[in-house]
Amino acid sequence: MKWDKEKIKSILPQREPFLFIDEVIEIDGTERVVAVKNIKLDESFFEGHFPGNPVVPGVILIEVMAQASIILYSVAKPEITASHPDYYLGKVKAEFLSPVSPGDELIIETNRVKFLDNAAITEVIVKVNNKIAVKAELVFSIQKKK
Amino acid sequence: MANNFEEEIRQLISNITEVPIEKLTLDADFFNDLNIDSLKAIEIVAAFEKKYRIIIPEQDIPKIRNLRKIIEYTVFPK
Repeated sequence: MKWDKEKIKSILPQREPFLFIDEVIEIDGTERVVAVKNIKLDESFFEGHFPGNPVVPGVILIEVMAQASIILYSVAKPEITASHPDYYLGKVKAEFLSPVSPGDELIIETNRVKFLDNAAITEVIVKVNNKIAVKAELVFSIQKKK
Repeated sequence: MANNFEEEIRQLISNITEVPIEKLTLDADFFNDLNIDSLKAIEIVAAFEKKYRIIIPEQDIPKIRNLRKIIEYTVFPK
């Protein structure tokens, strides 16, 4: 099953230019999703990072992985995400293995570690050209809107 | 005197939560006494599931509120 941008926007609260998932291309039950983000030259962050030498900031790659994690969480816990809660990143353990540049297609493989109603842990790998560019473990909380 | 298993669990929780070992007494409440929040709690749960190959169902988590309870749960999982 694939998700297009509209379906993604029905789950993720982020919007352009801070929406970093283009497509979901694979969903394995409630354990794993694979998503895609194509890095374009006109991404807003390239204006300053860096002039004449565009490199995707590590924090943006963390955000990419966090957004993919929310999508996996929504697949596993639809009754929680139906109310459009707030998501707060709590802890990140990441390794950046190679730089990401304009034109790269990011394949974001997100795996469930533990999901509760108010917190979640995922393991995420980002690949470019079938090579791991980033891997991380994310811990985030899910909170009902006040 | 604490046994090795108790010390191992105490050390594991201390590493995750950054609560000093001496504060992790058997009956100190994780949430009220040690200020362990939901994110630390899920990290403890995930670490115990991985290390001791047990499954801790979500509904049991609120009942495991101190070191004594988590030791009992790990030795005699539901």
